[in-house]
Amino acid sequence: MIALLIANSLALASLLIMLASGLALIYGLRDVINFGHGAIYMLGAYLGYTVALVGGFWLALIVVPVLLALLGIAFEYLALRPLQNRSHIEVALVTLGLGIILGQIIIYFYGGVARSVDAPQILSGSVTVLNLSYPVYRIFLIVMGLGSCALLALWLRFTPSGLYVRAVSQDPSVARMMGINADRLSLLVTSLSAAFAGVAGVLAGPYLSIDPGMDVTMIVDCLIIVVIGGTGSIGGAIVAALLFGLVQVAGSVFLPNIASLVPYILLMVVLLIAPRGIGRGRVLN
Amino acid sequence: MNNRTTTAASARPAAIGALGGLSLRVPLAIAAVAIVFVVGAVVPTRIAGDFALRLANEGLLLGMLALSVAFLMSQAGLVALGAASIYGGTGLLFAIAVGEWNLTPTMAMCVSILIIAVYATVLGALIVRTNPLAFMMLTLAAGEMISHAVLLEGLRDYTGGADGLVVRFKGSIFGMESADFADPARFWLMVWVAAWLAGLALWAIGRSRLGAVLRAVRENEERMRFSGFNTYLPRLIAYVLVNIVAAVAGLLHVLNAGFVSPESLGLSVSTNALVAALMGGIAGSVGPILGGLIFSFAQDEFGARGLTQLLTGIAIVLFIVVFPRGVVGGLWGAMRTRVLNGRREIS
Repeated sequence: MIALLIANSLALASLLIMLASGLALIYGLRDVINFGHGAIYMLGAYLGYTVALVGGFWLALIVVPVLLALLGIAFEYLALRPLQNRSHIEVALVTLGLGIILGQIIIYFYGGVARSVDAPQILSGSVTVLNLSYPVYRIFLIVMGLGSCALLALWLRFTPSGLYVRAVSQDPSVARMMGINADRLSLLVTSLSAAFAGVAGVLAGPYLSIDPGMDVTMIVDCLIIVVIGGTGSIGGAIVAALLFGLVQVAGSVFLPNIASLVPYILLMVVLLIAPRGIGRGRVLN
Repeated sequence: MNNRTTTAASARPAAIGALGGLSLRVPLAIAAVAIVFVVGAVVPTRIAGDFALRLANEGLLLGMLALSVAFLMSQAGLVALGAASIYGGTGLLFAIAVGEWNLTPTMAMCVSILIIAVYATVLGALIVRTNPLAFMMLTLAAGEMISHAVLLEGLRDYTGGADGLVVRFKGSIFGMESADFADPARFWLMVWVAAWLAGLALWAIGRSRLGAVLRAVRENEERMRFSGFNTYLPRLIAYVLVNIVAAVAGLLHVLNAGFVSPESLGLSVSTNALVAALMGGIAGSVGPILGGLIFSFAQDEFGARGLTQLLTGIAIVLFIVVFPRGVVGGLWGAMRTRVLNGRREIS
């Protein structure tokens, strides 16, 4: 029972980690929260649905992130860079508007009905671990989530570009003085974050349903996570995503009547105790 | 409108000569505003049909909501994305208060606005101390929380769930029966007066000490704190005040429509209000209200093809990137440069 609960919350948290850490990365570099992130995730899910119909799930898992990375590059060149002298609130509102536009375009092409994607043969069915039967796909989800989480941490810790990202996040002006090209980093981070959203979208297909409201649901969940984690802290976002997953899954088991409110109650409690969130507010420092 | 003329007059003594000095200019402005008020109250009900009046009523209500969003944006630098939860929430509370608790309409009105004010105070106490970006995220989250709460199975008997609630009340509010609220012409008069009161109240607050403190905190919160100002309380007061304006708009809406739907608490109502505010221009009171009217008629023109949401998104981007001052702000700026240029040519 407890093991199932933890496994389920890890599966949900895996998706949320991929999305929330993308948000936190962009925030670290540009001081902007991308309110369109939910729409990018939704695009990932719908593109994943289409590509999976044509070439199968595995192809979708490779093609969609690449396509969305290109979208991220476009987003960087067409929105973030031209607007970098505007106030952060204005840029955040622009991303909100762009997210609405993207969401409506997706609905225009795919219609308002929910879609579903089948997991590939190897990942369907369930395995028995310690006398507990558990769906293979969720295990795959957990492996992907924790794996990408580990990759992200390794990248930030041990590569030069990861070091630069941490430096800019900590102090943009000093980092620029030391000769770090923040624009180039931002391009990398924006495309990476969009690609992660694409992976999350494709992975969400067989796990959650693909429907027109998924962008709002996901962006609200991610915003809660980012606030709980301390805006811009990737470590905080990861911990907050795990906490969020646990609370939501436990809520649907123990408090089914008010399950949809449980994440908000968590948010309010965290705000009451620690208004700045549980993280230290900057990328992995 | 009034706002800008008087500040322009006091800031630019040279500009006064044209209209005969400060002593004459203020009464003239007041007279002009009074004429606009009376003409606006009477003329539409005479010349416009029921359908256009209904659109205009919706527009003014959205304008009041936009006003609440714009005031917080321009004075405090905070963007609230949860306006709909206040707007729809008040209507829902009113419906519950008359339907379930059997209160008289006036009592129900007071109770619903009071509950919303308490909610706004508690929520504001938690969220106005965060930075503006977090505030934006938190208002979005709080709005979604309320719209989820309304749809809870356990509250279905109260809120009507996804079906919404029909509002029937007997008796009167300020001498108005429920039929009066449903009549577009009579309702226009009410909502016109309410919009003016809200606009004037927020305009006056913006020019008061509270407004000055809010703008100073918006520019640099740390400096104000060092200077010994309380930076928390003014923002909380402003947050509660604008929510009361939004609550009044929501209440009028439900009195007029006789029905609350869960969609009136949805995110799209909040973004509509944001777009209306950006369209009209967030500075001052005229812009947002006019923006609401423009939005309402534009929605009627284009919304039938299911394009409302798409156009909302486009409008947000367009007005922030290209026309950050909105229609009213932009026209006002253009007019003033022309007047100033004209004067330079003369001298």
